[in-house]
Amino acid sequence: MVLPQGGGSDRGRRRLVLLVLTAITLLSLDLSGFGPLGAAQRWVRDLLHPIAEVAGFVASPFANTWNAIFDYDDLAAERDQLREELDNALGAQLAAEAERAAFRRLLEATEITYLPTIPTVTATVVRTAVGNFDEHVITIDKGTNHGIRPGMAVVTGAGLVGRVERVDAITASVQLLSDANLVIGVRLAATDEVGLGHTLPDDVRTFVIDRGLEWPEGDDGSLLPALDSVVVTAASSRYPAEIPLGRITDVYLDPENDIAMIVEVELANDVRDLSYVTVLIASGVDQVPLEPTPSTSIPLDIEVPQDPESDR
Amino acid sequence: MSVPIRLGLVMLAALLVQLTVFVDVRFFGVAPELLSLLAVFGAFFIGPERGLLVAFGAGLLWDVYLPTPLGVTAFTLALIAYAVARFNEGLFHDSRLQLAVVVFVASGMAVLGYALIGGIMGSPELLRIDMFRIALIVGILHALLTPLVSPVMMWALGGEGTMRR
Repeated sequence: MVLPQGGGSDRGRRRLVLLVLTAITLLSLDLSGFGPLGAAQRWVRDLLHPIAEVAGFVASPFANTWNAIFDYDDLAAERDQLREELDNALGAQLAAEAERAAFRRLLEATEITYLPTIPTVTATVVRTAVGNFDEHVITIDKGTNHGIRPGMAVVTGAGLVGRVERVDAITASVQLLSDANLVIGVRLAATDEVGLGHTLPDDVRTFVIDRGLEWPEGDDGSLLPALDSVVVTAASSRYPAEIPLGRITDVYLDPENDIAMIVEVELANDVRDLSYVTVLIASGVDQVPLEPTPSTSIPLDIEVPQDPESDR
Repeated sequence: MSVPIRLGLVMLAALLVQLTVFVDVRFFGVAPELLSLLAVFGAFFIGPERGLLVAFGAGLLWDVYLPTPLGVTAFTLALIAYAVARFNEGLFHDSRLQLAVVVFVASGMAVLGYALIGGIMGSPELLRIDMFRIALIVGILHALLTPLVSPVMMWALGGEGTMRR
């Protein structure tokens, strides 16, 4: 039976208003990057991390059993896919032996040159998404204590995985490439053209470069990027180095813009299944690269006609 | 043991279960949101005054781990808790089924509210058609969890909830 609360309603309403105002204040401070608030959150996460580790160890048999029961079909599909990829790799190897020159060029394009020069930190993925709306975020077991800072690139041997988003002392959150809102500046290896792209919301293995690329004049097919080219992130973007991203699978004219080119790329990484990642300990420019804007200045080699009025 | 300490322990336990078990254990890709569930129970059992504080605290704790700005969940859960408490004031007959229905509706609304407020506060990716599916599944999961979580929450509240059960 519910007990009547009488005058408690007014107090409840006043308390609601106070709490809402508190929440709005916290939101405003957090959005404006108020340092102490971020530090307090980091402190809570760092404090609870060891307890969460122990709890995770205790709960792991249950979680593993659950995965074994309910993800069996996924595991079987993954095994079949790996088998198919192995077959493809063997076929590619044979083809490469027949075309050694092309194979050497491909190797040159895919060779990861950033690892020897940039310091790296290898991290273990300790958690995938915790909520229901953050499926593109993972947590790794390295943080500021290991030199990791927000904005750093996260890679595997195959290429880019994402970027460091939030860093605590001993953990960090990584925004994965599968997030369609993560815009990345890329360079096409075959043509050196630079554009902006993102993954598709319903297909996390496909990356679409839909800004910044122009369709070649005269529809010259020979100028189109070769389908076997490798796309790399541009050095001038928010990432510090040229990192492999994937292989071009399709190039077509933008249906909404007659002069723009859209390039589809199959990502080298499957970010849905990561156990270990590597963080490049180098800072990029923490902003989306801007598209080049046409210059409004008059080129030096153009003769400016004299104003006839000025001779009078 | 005082009520605040018991509540703190229950919230901490809920957070740990959320961060460990429900990272892997998902139903159609959706996990229950235990802190949101505690907020609804708090409002249902102890009314709009202290229930609001419980909901706000639970939301704030959950906010620390979510990518959205601090305060989005606390804001949402405070509103939901107030609505639940006021609705409960008008009820004359309480039953387990009634509690489960309230939990189902309030939990679903909490998911939608989080997406809506988060979307307004700079995370537009939260506003997607999928949020209705998530809200529905979270509501069902929370309603199913009611018989398990309800006694725990009553213990944490020092038996106050028994007045309404």
